[in-house]
This record gives sequence, structure tokens and C-alpha cells, in this order.
Amino acid sequence: MPAVSVENLTKVYGEDTVALDDVSFEVEDGEFLVVLGPSGAGKSTLLRILNGLTTPTEGRVEVGDEEITGRRSDIAMVFQLHYVIESLSAYRNALTGALSRASLLESLLTWYDEPDKRMALRALDTVGLLEAAEQRTGSMSGGQKQRVGIARALVQDPNLLLADEPVASLDPKAANQVMGYMRSAAKERDLTTIASLHQVNIAREFGDRFIGIRDGEVVFDGDHDDLTMDAVDEIYYESEEDAEGVLEA
Amino acid sequence: MLERIEHHQRVRRILIAVGLLVLALVTAAGMTFIGFRLANLVREFPGFIESIWDFMPPNFVDFTLYSKEHYQYGQVAKLEDFYQPILMSFSNPSTFWTSIVEQEGLIGLSVITIAIGFCGTVLGFPLALIFGVLGSERVTPFPFNFLFRGAMSTIRAIPALVWVLVYIPLTGLGPVGALMAVATDTVGNLGRLFTDELEEIDDGPIEAVGSTGASGSQRVFFGMLSQVFTSFIAWTLYILEINVRIAVSLGVVGAGGIGQYINNRFFGFLEFSRGMAGILMVIVIVLSVEMVSSRLRARLRPSEHEQMTFFDHLKDLLTTSKWLGTGSGKRD
Repeated sequence: MPAVSVENLTKVYGEDTVALDDVSFEVEDGEFLVVLGPSGAGKSTLLRILNGLTTPTEGRVEVGDEEITGRRSDIAMVFQLHYVIESLSAYRNALTGALSRASLLESLLTWYDEPDKRMALRALDTVGLLEAAEQRTGSMSGGQKQRVGIARALVQDPNLLLADEPVASLDPKAANQVMGYMRSAAKERDLTTIASLHQVNIAREFGDRFIGIRDGEVVFDGDHDDLTMDAVDEIYYESEEDAEGVLEA
Repeated sequence: MLERIEHHQRVRRILIAVGLLVLALVTAAGMTFIGFRLANLVREFPGFIESIWDFMPPNFVDFTLYSKEHYQYGQVAKLEDFYQPILMSFSNPSTFWTSIVEQEGLIGLSVITIAIGFCGTVLGFPLALIFGVLGSERVTPFPFNFLFRGAMSTIRAIPALVWVLVYIPLTGLGPVGALMAVATDTVGNLGRLFTDELEEIDDGPIEAVGSTGASGSQRVFFGMLSQVFTSFIAWTLYILEINVRIAVSLGVVGAGGIGQYINNRFFGFLEFSRGMAGILMVIVIVLSVEMVSSRLRARLRPSEHEQMTFFDHLKDLLTTSKWLGTGSGKRD
């Protein structure tokens, strides 16, 4: 039984802007899947549908044997621009992952259940920020904020972790660090992960399996060995001339 | 091409000149309408300076209960009237406390004014927050958000000086009515600032909080209000400054505090030098509130006070260079 099953997913914006065109794939339990593709290929739309933030025009997605019809607290998302609450500490930000398990008053007064508090500290430990738990995220670097974003996602105790271009706005060193923490967090918890990425080298280093999307269609599906230079060209460039033109430039 | 650009520039210059001319004519017409004559002002100016001189030196006999009871001043004003009551009050410090408790003297009346401004702001804040948040289109769908925006606009349309009159049947004309007027005014003004601030926020954090499975109210608090928390506090402190000034003017129309003292001295008893002491107290009150408020607002700027303890904050509040704006202020 796959952890995630995407069947004939199509998303059309407006009259005729096709973002996804009949996309189907499955993800195994605990697998770290990386979605590759040029800007505007449909990666973000796919992740938003998986997170219940966008409704597909056609097709269905099942996570844990249950169809996605809206937002679900067992699916966590790491956003490109982290979107942490800068006025709060790393610890309180991590705890926002447990919002669905607390009332408004409990969450405002940080009266979360003991296991949730422990989970927040463990998540911060996983992303290497336990020592900075009480630091305001507003004063943290971009990489640290993104790690807080991962901690928040882990505190949701999800069955599926999604990451939409999680390192696009980071320098290469921070990007590697953030991806390393994300992968180890996922592996530690045997957590199924789907991350969209621009950078092929980072994808190659951290992914188990890769899906390439171009113009809303799946044009590649394979593992490390399959992700050759030719395959990358196939994902990113319409034709060989395109690829050569870019290389020459 | 060049000709066209120059033609456009010529037209723009002519339009600006015409606009300025119209503005000058309308202002001149308005001033004539209300009876403004420059010649009158010039004629009366020496008399004005003379009467201001008559207010000097300010007479602080009413500074505290102690000075009121013990300081004797003569018919002819002298410089001692300015500093002697203050010095004798400081040599007997317990009088400050009794003046406040008895609500007497410039000190007691100033505390009333500050209390009206402060408590009015605190009482108005929760309603301003509710109206401000519900007035935002991000929380209440259009056109229902206009119910709250409309309520705030109506409150704002009526000045605090009129609200205090509206509340007379409820509270009479006094500090309690002034408190109610300031609180009402706060709902209209602060609420509007809150709504405007909420229109500027990012959707991302709201979506991020929503994606954790948070409830609607949690999305409002953690996704929206968390983004504007510091600016809300900064706006509230700014409104507090304004409210203390309003509290002074409400006193002038008879609602108690230092404003009423000034009014009584100038118009009731024609004791101008004592009235002048009241005006100086107002300056001290307003500047003090402004300084504390601006220091607190500076504290809200994040990068400036990372990793500071409570005592560091206290120490920082006493840094004179920051109060006077002579320090660098920023660390990085």
C-alpha cells in the first residue's frame, strides 16, 4: 500500500491555463521524493493540491488511504519563505505545529500538552536548534528560520511532509544544511517526504527518487542512477537545441 | 521628440502654477471670511507680548498641598514664586503622595490628567482591537466589514470634546466623563489604525498557520495578529500620547485635571502667573509621556534589544544619550 497515491491529477486555472495535465504517481512509505522541473512547470500547484490548499480540476490524491478534500493536520508543509512568526521564539514557533491539538486560549498561553512540548523540543533538537529554542526567530538567519519551519512541520506529527522549494532563497551552504536536517528528520521518523527543488545537485544528494515535471506533465520518474545529464536536459529543456543553446551561452 | 517632452513639461509647470494660485486664492478668501486682518495682528502684537510678560514668572504656589499651605506670595510677582514652592515641596517629599491622594495641587491634578489619558487608552484598546480586526476584509467578508468600519468612522466623526458632553447625563462633567470620552475616541482612532495595519500583512504566514490545521481564531491570532503585534503596541503608545493631550483639553472644558486648573486661573480668577505654572506642568507631562512612549517604541524595534535582560532594559531606559537622541541608537 503506497503512502501517497496521485491519480490522473489535472489542474486548469481560468479558461485554458493548464498547470497539471493528467499526473499520476505513487510514493512509498518513508520515501524521500524530489519533484524537479523548471519554473512554472506545475511543482507548486502539485504540492498545494497535496496539502489541500488548492482543489484539483480532475483526478484525486490519497494520503494514508484517505482522499484529500481540504487541509489536514497530518500533512505538514515547509514553505519557500519559511513564514515563521518572527515575534515569537523558535520554541513557540515549533509549537504552532500543535495548534490543531490545542484550544485558542491554550495556544495563546502556551498551555500545550506535555507530549506536545516535548515534541517541540525534540523537533528543534533534530534541526540543530535546541540551544536557540528561546531565541526570537526574527533575529535568526534565513537558514535557521527555515529549520524552525521544518521543526514546526515535525510537531504536526505528520504522515506526509511536503516542502515547496524549501531552499530556493538560501545560499548553497545553508541550503545543504537545511536539506540535510530535513532528510535526517524524515529518515529518523520514517516520514514520507515530497520536496520540490530547482537545484539538481542538491536534489541528487538528498533524494531517494525523482519526478520531473515539465509543462504540467510527468516527463521523468526514476532513482539516482536514472537521473543522468540527459534526463536532466529532458526535464528542463523542450529540445536538444534548447539545451545546447543554454550550455553554449 | 524633444519638443514633445518640453511641451509636456511646460504644460505641467503651468498646471502647477495655476494650482498654487488657486490654493492661495482659496486660503485668502477663507481667511477674509473668518475676519483675519494682518494689520490687526501687527497692531495688537506689542500688547500681546506685554500681557505674556505679565504672566511671568510662573507662580508655582499650587505645586503641592504643602506649598499651597506654606508659601506666601505678595502682590508683586517675583522670581521666587517660580522655584521656592517647588524647592519647599521637595524638602518635604511626603507632600507629593498626599497631593496625589487628595487630588490637590498641580501634582495631584497632573496625575488625574495622566490617569484619564492612560486609563482611557487601556479601556479603549480591547474594543479598538475587536473593531479593528473585524473591520479588516481579511477577517470579515465585504460588505459586512463595513459595519465595523462605519462604526469606527462614526466614532471618529465626533471629537472627544463633544463625547464628553454626550456623556454628561451618564457621568456628569468630570474626570469619569473625560475617561469615557477618551476611551470612545480611542476605539475610533486606534481601531482604524489597526484595520489599516492588517490590510498590509502577508498572506504567507496565514497560510502557513492554516496548513498546521489551526482553527479560524488561531489563524487570526497566530497568522495575522502576530505579524502586526509590535506595530499595534507602537500605535497604542502613539495614541496614548495623543490621549494625554486630549485629557488636558477636556479639562479646559471642565472635566477636571490640569486643564481645568488652567481654565480656572485664566478665566475664573484671572491669576495669570499661576495659570502659566499650569501650562508649564502640561509641557512637562506631555513631554514626559512622549519620551517614555518613544523609548518604549524604540524598544519594540527587534534588532536593538536581543538577548537583553530586564535589568538591561531598565538601565537602557536611563541612558540619557538615547533620551536626547544624541546616541547612535542602533547597534548594527
